[in-house]
Amino acid sequence: MGFRFDLLMFMIVLLSVPVLSNLILSNVDRRIDLTTQAVRITSTLKVENTGSDLVSEVLLAFPDDQAKHLAYLTATNNEGKGKAKSSSVSFPVDVVRPKGMHPSLTFYSVSLPKGLGKGASLTLDVLAVFAHALQPFPERITQPDIQLVVFNETAHYLSPYAVKVQSLTVKLPDARIESFSKIENTKIHGSEVKYGPYENLPPFSYSSIVVHFEANQPFAIAQQLIREIEISHWGNVQVTEHYNLVHGGAQSKGEFSRLDYQARPHVRGASAIRHLVAKLPPRAHSIYYRDEIGNISTSKLWGDPKKTELVIEPRYPMFGGWRTAFTIGYGLPLQDFLFHSEGKRYLNISFGSPINEVVIDTLIVKVVLPEGSADISVSAPFPVKQGQETKFSHLDVVGRPVIVLEKTNVVLEHNQHFQVYYKFSSLSMFGEPLMLISGFFFLFVACIIYMHADLSISKSSPSYLAKLQWDEVQAGVQQVRNIFDRCLTLHDKLEASLRDLSRTGDVQACKASRKAVDGLLKDISKDLKPLLLSLQSSPQAAQILPKVEELVAKERDLQEKLMVKHSTVVDSYEKKLSGREIENRVALQQQKITALRQEVDDLLDFIDEI
Amino acid sequence: MAPKPIASPVPDAWYPSLSVFMLAIGLFVTASFFIYEATSSRRNRSLTKELITGAVASVFLGFGSLFLLLASGVYV
Repeated sequence: MGFRFDLLMFMIVLLSVPVLSNLILSNVDRRIDLTTQAVRITSTLKVENTGSDLVSEVLLAFPDDQAKHLAYLTATNNEGKGKAKSSSVSFPVDVVRPKGMHPSLTFYSVSLPKGLGKGASLTLDVLAVFAHALQPFPERITQPDIQLVVFNETAHYLSPYAVKVQSLTVKLPDARIESFSKIENTKIHGSEVKYGPYENLPPFSYSSIVVHFEANQPFAIAQQLIREIEISHWGNVQVTEHYNLVHGGAQSKGEFSRLDYQARPHVRGASAIRHLVAKLPPRAHSIYYRDEIGNISTSKLWGDPKKTELVIEPRYPMFGGWRTAFTIGYGLPLQDFLFHSEGKRYLNISFGSPINEVVIDTLIVKVVLPEGSADISVSAPFPVKQGQETKFSHLDVVGRPVIVLEKTNVVLEHNQHFQVYYKFSSLSMFGEPLMLISGFFFLFVACIIYMHADLSISKSSPSYLAKLQWDEVQAGVQQVRNIFDRCLTLHDKLEASLRDLSRTGDVQACKASRKAVDGLLKDISKDLKPLLLSLQSSPQAAQILPKVEELVAKERDLQEKLMVKHSTVVDSYEKKLSGREIENRVALQQQKITALRQEVDDLLDFIDEI
Repeated sequence: MAPKPIASPVPDAWYPSLSVFMLAIGLFVTASFFIYEATSSRRNRSLTKELITGAVASVFLGFGSLFLLLASGVYV
């Protein structure tokens, strides 16, 4: 075995490396969780300073082949024993390259802000999550085969410091254990393999162990996941997630029988991906699940006030090495994710995928801010690659600023909230309705211009001239019509003044209104004269002219009759005649007036029809 | 200062009814605009009246179509 030999060489080299500082680890307790495809190693380190100097950093060492799979690493300190974990303090962790160390080791430095004084001790909880650390073995299996995986680790904690007491627990899924390395102090207890305790080991001790076990949980790996989060201040945060999924377990070989799978899915296809569960935020709406062909109908949705759960089934059960691509999208209420603080707005939303069991090779989160956002800054709880681009969407002029965050090797622990801060004026929201309004307004303006423009080519053709003249006649007739309308309202006013007189007996008021109407009627006849003249001079108006002239004559008649009636009534009132007598006196006139009014109305209707 | 959640200026639930009413008013004004265009003769048409009717119609149609987009899930 080549790599065993390598390790031996590695150990020899390592042992020759000088010890860095006076720290020792008095107790190391490690628990490795292999129940999911992401390997979680929780180490509790009790660090003691035996030297006299203040120590401000603790180094964690990982072999390079493990470090390249490292997805997530945190170091916390739980202050106070037995208390709630809320008092935990997280320390900053950075990659460092200390001098004189072996090049095949990657070191991470945990900075202690307070430092560790002489004789002091500290308990560190280190959580390291590795993606792709489980190797399928055999690499190719047929449909009814179970999936077996191999995991390599060191039974001794690899550290640049001496370790006094240590133990290791490996938690395996509740299934068959094919084999595990048996070294001194190895115990098996149900699905847990225990190594240790080992005492007083020098720095850089390494003792390779291999665990080979059945792991039928699906190895859903998103080779690329693009999450697009689009903010609309009109009340929505739209999330669209494009998955490029592959089953990363043992490759499928031989033929696939849908019949066998359908009949006994848990035997003939135990490691296949049947479905995935996306835990969406509460109040998610407009949820869809589709791919390039269209909607995928095999999905289920539950919702309660705390969460929304979407169970999606791919178009086919996914065996090792099979791929699929799909998109899920959902809308979220704005007020749950967008906040206002100190003059800036910020989006507070989770970074990772809502599907917990997926390990993501490359995650690209795009935050599309509304048009007109400025002063954009991102605050993420872990380092990410940042970029910026522009997206054109509905009703955009200059495009929306897009923040692009990229991260490789994303696991469940990265499902933390991140913030995008930006400045935005509420007035810029109204740019979109303004665009719609101006669009409609241009349509109306175009109509107005079309109706006003003269589009005929030949300006001297007889038909064109005739049309012009006819337009003129029409305009003239319409003006005459308007004048008669005014006339008739004045007539009504006179009648109304008579009614007022009979009610109140105020002769003076009646006379005054008569005088006003007289003046207005005179003005009207003055206005009418040039119109009639222009109609008479126009040859096109020949047909209509007699009617107009008749109308003028009738109206004048009507007007005279009305005046006479008015004078009579007023006179009678002045002479204090009784109501009946007045009625008798004007009865004849009233008849004529009604007849004339009827004729005038008929004539006006006739003219309207032209 | 504690962060305050930001909501939309108009509650989401109003979008469908707002769009129906504003589009109805907008289409009504549009109809009156075209009736005026078609019935009044070229000489005694008033440009201000046309422009005002057009502007009112476009404001109602603009907001109406915006709310229609929002109600149908196209968050602009």
